[in-house]
Amino acid sequence: MGSDMLTLEKRLLAGAAAALSILAAANSIVNAHAEHYPGTTPSAVTPSAVSALAAEIEHEDDHVTAVELAQWIRQRKPGLRVLDVRSDPEYQAYHIPSAERLPLTALAALAPTDGETLVLYSEGGAHAAQGWVLLRASGHRRVYFLRGGLLDWMDDVMSPALPNDSSRATVAALSRYFGGVPRAGAVPLPTSSATAATAVARVRRRGC
Amino acid sequence: MIAPFTEFGLLGPRGALVAAFAIGIAFGACLERSGLGSARKLMGQFDLTDLAVFKVMFSAIVTAMLGLFWLSRLGLLDVQKVYLPDTFLLPQLLGGALFGVGFALAGLCPGTSCVAAATGRVDGVAVMLGMFAGVLATGAALPWLQRLYLATARGGLTLPRLLGMPEGVVILVVVGVALTAFGFTARIERRAAMSSRTSDNGV
Repeated sequence: MGSDMLTLEKRLLAGAAAALSILAAANSIVNAHAEHYPGTTPSAVTPSAVSALAAEIEHEDDHVTAVELAQWIRQRKPGLRVLDVRSDPEYQAYHIPSAERLPLTALAALAPTDGETLVLYSEGGAHAAQGWVLLRASGHRRVYFLRGGLLDWMDDVMSPALPNDSSRATVAALSRYFGGVPRAGAVPLPTSSATAATAVARVRRRGC
Repeated sequence: MIAPFTEFGLLGPRGALVAAFAIGIAFGACLERSGLGSARKLMGQFDLTDLAVFKVMFSAIVTAMLGLFWLSRLGLLDVQKVYLPDTFLLPQLLGGALFGVGFALAGLCPGTSCVAAATGRVDGVAVMLGMFAGVLATGAALPWLQRLYLATARGGLTLPRLLGMPEGVVILVVVGVALTAFGFTARIERRAAMSSRTSDNGV
């Protein structure tokens, strides 16, 4: 009798878990569907919209630097999506950690979502900048492209020349976070336990 | 009230410590009540006679996963503010393997060793001492280990992001796998219980 009660209880729990997970899947799929097929279609680009975009470009509000992007990823900026617009083999060979591949031709299907910040990048920067214009014109608000593209990422994040000032340790820690190797002179490498400790302390900010 | 309470200032650092203490005591009491303070129970895992630990772990994952998903959908929890550990592939693979070896050798993991020690089991005390020695040694060796410690960083990685699948679908898959695994473990345990009974009769 007691074991019957136990199996009944287990069955109820298993049923509850199954039901909640099926609802979760349905909920996510419906939400994803709504994102891809929004009720409104983007309006045509008006001359005033063009001059507004031109002003943004002139103010240089359109891009982020490699170091800024690295900090955003590191700090897990809410709603951040990093989009790689290069070809699939290039993406497979290397991409910025956390980046998704999204071909330029697929940009049109990307519906604006509240709270999202999009960052586009390509090899040098031209393709990503063109993608920026397309996305801004189709109603996305928070869009940036990576200035200097992956080339700048490699130079400034993956193998940065360390400055001789107070930002030195920060730059080095940021680079190592992404598996990079800071360059130049006396690199504060593992030998100095003080800098090693600060770099590691940032990583294990919290444990479990 | 929106969770996590510590992030929204509903629990200060001192409140968080008190809460952690209370939750820790409750966790230890539950571990002891379910017999997980005994290395014998844990060793049942490796000779496939008692898969309690496996079931505890998997049901905890399912509960937490469904809870996080639905609480955030209901607006009671801000998932962005829940701490997500960074992924470092190589060091975490090595650490996990080392942890597994220690677990199999000692028959206790960190949590259960504290419970075992608290109930006066000598092996629990030994494992706890070993654990502290290991923590101290790793801390002292960190400057030399730092390259490995920070190698192959992948940032905060989650299954939906890794697989490019909607969160809910990943949840459905994991729950499906868990329920199937629970069915299998029940069968394995029944068979093990049966064979031990027949061998007892034979003697």
